[in-house]
Amino acid sequence: METQVTALAFGPGLPATGQRGALRAAADHVEVSWSETGSPAAAGVDAFDGVAVTCAIGDVTFAEVGFGKPGLELRWPADATQRANDTASNSTNASTATDWLVHVLNPTDAAALRARADWAALPSMKRLNQLQRKQHTQRVIAWSAVALLVLSPLLVLLLFLSQAARIAEAIAERIPITEEVRLGRQAFESMRGNLKLVDTGASPEAVVKIGRELTTGSRYTYEFHVVDDATLNAFALPGGIVVVHTGLIAATRRPEELAGVLAHEVQHVELRHGTSALVKDLSWRVLWTWFTGDWGGTLAGQAAAQLGSLKFSRDAESAADNAGFDALVRAGIDPSGMPDFFAIMAKQAGDAPAAFLSTHPLSSAREQALRQRLTELPANSFTPLDHSAWPPAQGLPVRKVAR
Amino acid sequence: MSMDVVDYEIFGDDIQFVEIELDPGEAAIGEAGSMMMMQDGIQMDTVFGDGSSQASQSGLLGKLLGAGKRLLTGESLFTTIFHNEGVGKRRVAFAAPYPGQIVPVSLREVGGSLICQKDSFLCAARGVSLGIAFNRKMGTGLFGGEGFIMQKLEGDGMVFVHAGGTLAVRDLAPGETLRVDTGCVAAFQPSVDFDIQYVGKLKSALFSGEGLFFATLRGPGRVWIQSLPFSRLANRIIQSAPAAGGRSVGEGSMLGGLGGLLDGDNH
Repeated sequence: METQVTALAFGPGLPATGQRGALRAAADHVEVSWSETGSPAAAGVDAFDGVAVTCAIGDVTFAEVGFGKPGLELRWPADATQRANDTASNSTNASTATDWLVHVLNPTDAAALRARADWAALPSMKRLNQLQRKQHTQRVIAWSAVALLVLSPLLVLLLFLSQAARIAEAIAERIPITEEVRLGRQAFESMRGNLKLVDTGASPEAVVKIGRELTTGSRYTYEFHVVDDATLNAFALPGGIVVVHTGLIAATRRPEELAGVLAHEVQHVELRHGTSALVKDLSWRVLWTWFTGDWGGTLAGQAAAQLGSLKFSRDAESAADNAGFDALVRAGIDPSGMPDFFAIMAKQAGDAPAAFLSTHPLSSAREQALRQRLTELPANSFTPLDHSAWPPAQGLPVRKVAR
Repeated sequence: MSMDVVDYEIFGDDIQFVEIELDPGEAAIGEAGSMMMMQDGIQMDTVFGDGSSQASQSGLLGKLLGAGKRLLTGESLFTTIFHNEGVGKRRVAFAAPYPGQIVPVSLREVGGSLICQKDSFLCAARGVSLGIAFNRKMGTGLFGGEGFIMQKLEGDGMVFVHAGGTLAVRDLAPGETLRVDTGCVAAFQPSVDFDIQYVGKLKSALFSGEGLFFATLRGPGRVWIQSLPFSRLANRIIQSAPAAGGRSVGEGSMLGGLGGLLDGDNH
């Protein structure tokens, strides 16, 4: 099998920029030929029919050549050459090279030559293939290292994204209770201006009474507040401040339902969900400023001011449900009030999305989970709370609630 | 498509332009914005891509690809073709965009292709195709001064590339190596191996002002070296431009601004 390709030859007596010619490749030898009488016509490589230089294939060494190494270089020593039709070269800028070099720069031609079955066993071709594999591996390693370097901020971000809850929890565990109390106090003071606190009357009394029962023996000192607001909401701040809206109290049908809500909120404090959320929010801000380079603003202060509006994760919500359920059982309060109230909230979602609901997703699913736990309890083991005059109507706005 | 054979003449010493003579029916392609003047009878036609046969046969996708390549090498998306529609010989001139030299290269003489630095293409005979050459050697791409992408000119005709400062042309024998300051490589034949080499000594690397690496060019083949990469010149201009917050260099007096007032030619 003989193939012929266009090539650029460098050798004794040839121009320094190379002589364009034809390379004829056979199983046992290569021949490069060109015409010394001016430039070849556009007719094709067949026009190269002047001087021919031949070399046995055993004397040829192969290398990659060209920008980006798409080509094949064939090199052989001058004394291994047989030359035909030689005329004295009159090239003015003759190269002083002693070796013959033939470059096949067309990638398709070069690949065809390298794929020749009758050349595959040549030691020189084997060496080239080995070298190429080695270089390929090195290149892959180098580029991977660069990619890793460039993508490292993204990787850190992804790691943080996947582990955010766990990291925040771990950090929150290390924050002392006094610091939590201070944070919660600071947040409460900043909100206080916008809250219409109800300090006296039946509703704060009822809330405090149930709250005390639920928080006996806690490491936190609790503070319960009732706010005159028709929305169905309650929230807890780190350190033990629990706030209930009058709208929520008005929607309850029996004290056990209010106890369910309070137990849930108290567990947010006990399980440090607020602090975790604050840490998470804060680290987002740090990451954000790291990415954008915007270091303006006092991070911690801004984050603390938004404590009341922080959202807890679904996991945190169900954890608070379960721990709240346990706390109710421990306090001797019928825990059925908790799922009952979730049912009210689920209905409420139909006509108007309650604020409480929007931060506590999937209340019907949570109601189902709690009902499941209720079935596991022995029947009639709780004495009901004082039902007289429920809900505690004093100072409450009248609000129609779908029952 | 066969290449058009063009006659040309280069004018000027350090700020040059090239005038190309077109026979009737011949055409030249120019980088957008490089045309300086043209005679009657020359029609200007702007095409998407480089106007070579390779581009015109490859359909819409091929054209878009070609345009993308041109964007990567810093050229504009469009190329302007200047046809001679007249009856006699007509001339069109292309001007270099900054001080330096215009290098005429016959692609036929150098084996059909030439690798040159980005943004250096000025004009060529119709039929020359402009492509990109991707530098796969990471070290060269990062520290070689030319980046990962260079421009590849292919065909058989004349091409005119532009480089900064004064040009040095060297013919390298096989294996002969030339060490070049990074950024000074203007163009080379693809048979030349372009690589980098650490300057060798830590003291030299830090204090010689040559940087950490040299670019190395290993023969065989012809290389073109520019003495002044344009950004280097631009940097010096900005540095010594008082209006741009730079420092006065080579003029003015001890009096500073007051001396400048008396001087009379600093407006």
